[in-house]
Amino acid sequence: MNQSGAGIRFEHVGVTYPNGYSGLREVNLEIAAGEMVAVVGLSGAGKSTLVRTINGLVPITSGEITVGDVGLHGLRGAPLRHLRSEVGMVFQSFNLAKRTTVLNNVLMGRLHGTSAWRTLLAAWKKDDIELAMQALERVEIVQKAYANASELSGGQQQRVAIARALAQRPKVILADEPTASLDPPTSHVVMRDLQRINAELGITVVVNLHFLDLARRYGQRLIGLRAGEIVYDGQGTDADESVFEAIYGRSLTAEDVLPSQPVELS
Amino acid sequence: MTVAGAVGDVRPTKPRTWWKAVVVLAVIAGITVWSSIAIGVDVAAIAENAHNAANTLIQLMQPDYSFFPQTVPALLQTVQMAIIATAVSVVIALPVSFWASRATNPNSAALGIVRFIMNVVRSVPDLLYASLFVTVVGTGALSGIFALVLFNLGILVKLVSEALDGLDRGGQEAALASGASWFKANRQAMLPEVAPVYISQAIYVLELNIRASTVIGLVGAGGLGMLIDQVRTFYQYHYLSLVILEILVIVVLLELLSSFARRRLIK
Amino acid sequence: MTAVTTRQTGTERPSSTGPAASRAPQRPSKPLHLGTKLIWVVVTIVVIAAFWSIDISWDALLTLPQKLVHYLGLMFLPPAWSKLPDALGATMLSVAMAWFGTLLGIIISFPLSLLATRGLTPAVVRWPLRGVFAVLRAVPEVVIAVLMLSVTGLTAFTGALAIAIGSIGTLGKWGYESFESVDRGPIEAATAAGASRLQVMRWGVWTSAKPDVYAFWLYRFEISVRASAILGLIGAGGIGKMLVDNIQFRVWDVVGMLMIVVVVVTMIIDQLSGMVRHRIIEGRWELPIVTALRRRSVKRARSESVDLKITADD
Repeated sequence: MNQSGAGIRFEHVGVTYPNGYSGLREVNLEIAAGEMVAVVGLSGAGKSTLVRTINGLVPITSGEITVGDVGLHGLRGAPLRHLRSEVGMVFQSFNLAKRTTVLNNVLMGRLHGTSAWRTLLAAWKKDDIELAMQALERVEIVQKAYANASELSGGQQQRVAIARALAQRPKVILADEPTASLDPPTSHVVMRDLQRINAELGITVVVNLHFLDLARRYGQRLIGLRAGEIVYDGQGTDADESVFEAIYGRSLTAEDVLPSQPVELS
Repeated sequence: MTVAGAVGDVRPTKPRTWWKAVVVLAVIAGITVWSSIAIGVDVAAIAENAHNAANTLIQLMQPDYSFFPQTVPALLQTVQMAIIATAVSVVIALPVSFWASRATNPNSAALGIVRFIMNVVRSVPDLLYASLFVTVVGTGALSGIFALVLFNLGILVKLVSEALDGLDRGGQEAALASGASWFKANRQAMLPEVAPVYISQAIYVLELNIRASTVIGLVGAGGLGMLIDQVRTFYQYHYLSLVILEILVIVVLLELLSSFARRRLIK
Repeated sequence: MTAVTTRQTGTERPSSTGPAASRAPQRPSKPLHLGTKLIWVVVTIVVIAAFWSIDISWDALLTLPQKLVHYLGLMFLPPAWSKLPDALGATMLSVAMAWFGTLLGIIISFPLSLLATRGLTPAVVRWPLRGVFAVLRAVPEVVIAVLMLSVTGLTAFTGALAIAIGSIGTLGKWGYESFESVDRGPIEAATAAGASRLQVMRWGVWTSAKPDVYAFWLYRFEISVRASAILGLIGAGGIGKMLVDNIQFRVWDVVGMLMIVVVVVTMIIDQLSGMVRHRIIEGRWELPIVTALRRRSVKRARSESVDLKITADD
């Protein structure tokens, strides 16, 4: 399964909401194909907005975003769906269909390429089922393929979500605070999975994170947002005190990192 | 030793709301008087006919079981109508419910239209549909089936679309983000979520239909009701009570079966 | 390139396979779900059997669409508005039937439902009473009306009585159910303070159950209004009778007008009773349509901010 990622380019991108609030301001960003980027910032700084503009969930009001060679401005209908089929997304609340099996959830990643009739009758192509199984194997949860999604733990559900994104054979994977609902050990597992996928398959990964140490450890590149603008764009290792001040408006505190003691798993 | 607060505390005056109750009671009494005049309450008639009524009741308590074989075709038809109507309406109501729910239909205009039409369809009683279809299509079970299907559509679509409105849409959001169309996202993510409710409502509709099928025959739409219609004109209360007994048995059996089925579903 | 290494993450158990060299977990096989499949097979067979065995000619189905269009045209292009005053009068009669019947039903069922409450009377009184409620609930109102022919003839009064008798069953059941689900606290307090059984009922049970009881009385009135239209269809008077007369004589434009009246009146009553129920439960007068619109605008504002992840909990 040799895939390659797509580059993402933001040019003078701005997002203004109907109520006048400015979500993103004059964002210029160039992400190379195959890069793994971590986006950090305070709540409300625009991290989520940034990530969601890439697959059009949040429409941009000025500027242009190019994913691969497709521009997002004014994209709608079939071309938008085509773009979205090449961009996988992992959500904070997993977003699995609870009352059906893990395999059916992963197969949702193949919906774009499945005809309406096949979808209606749930008659998936054999190739798609094989792909889904392989995706589950890659995140090491294939034994649960026929289990109900609601029976899984949070960490397992998120891995299924990653498998679903993988099943799309995407060029880009977006992750919107994927570890926010998980405990520290599981957060590391999920981030490691994303890192491995990025390294082995060459898919561009953009992750939105709350905890700084996760961002520095798993992202090659760190982007700091504050009030909708990029205030830092460089290597995670190069980020020092002044950078934190710029992003968070204060010095680093204990709340910005994962607790280092292993949490009792009840 | 007195049980009181500091002497000199200002006691609040009791709120004078008794007049509200008087107004309400007066309104209720007024409406009642008006309605009893309008419908022609005739207590004397009851007194006069009390003897008749007692007679009837006694006859009703003695069903004529020998009549049973003659009731079997009508009985069967009642059950057949109910099953067919349920099956047809369950199939039609599925896509319509999805069109009628904000959670699965992003098009506000279409949504509004479908909901309005369904509200109208729901406002018509089953027997009225039955009367209309009997005149248009003719007497018999076919009109009954049409009538029941329409009647069910209104109910099913309302119940299921309300259930859809309250569902967790996470899976749908993910499917849409992966490039699926609304139809595909709904089919794959929302349908499994609403399936238990749908099945439970289908059983409820089956119950309703069996009840309704027993009486739509009174206007000619087939089933036990037609038997009642034939029999009542001859005041054959022994036969009538047998038919009513059959209806009772069916309804009670149904209630037992459905609570059993519903309990197995909930787990 | 599938993952070959397995990792202990504490949340999964790698399955044991043959050769030690390959440690990849095996893919599970698709579960059979025989029980569910059997149920579906049985249901399908029953449905097909019903279609097969029913004794009707399905060819009427072919002419149905054009017939429907034809009759809809006769009914609504245009409806006979000239007869509207008659229709409204008939509607008033139906509403009067429903009102009287429901009121009578309430008066009769109220003491009976108290008697059927667990904790207020012994079982030997309760169970027969509940049985009577169940039987009355099971018999459709039209059948009750038909039975009452010999008593009062088929008039609006019969209709009202039929509604009354029919409603005793449901009102009785809802009555004792809400009395039983009342918070036990006030009852204990009243009994401990030495209240008599009647006083406990009045102050302990009734005050807590009051809003629910008023609500289902109203709901039952709504149902009765529909029932009165239906009873009219078998001749008991009111709008149902006007409908069935015009249907029999095929005066379709009047039928069309009457259908519109029925639909509009049903919708108005739904809204009105929703408003009164809202008042009882939440203490404010508000038409349900206003509540729905208000909730929708709040939800829209909230969902806009959720989509953009700018909520207070972020």
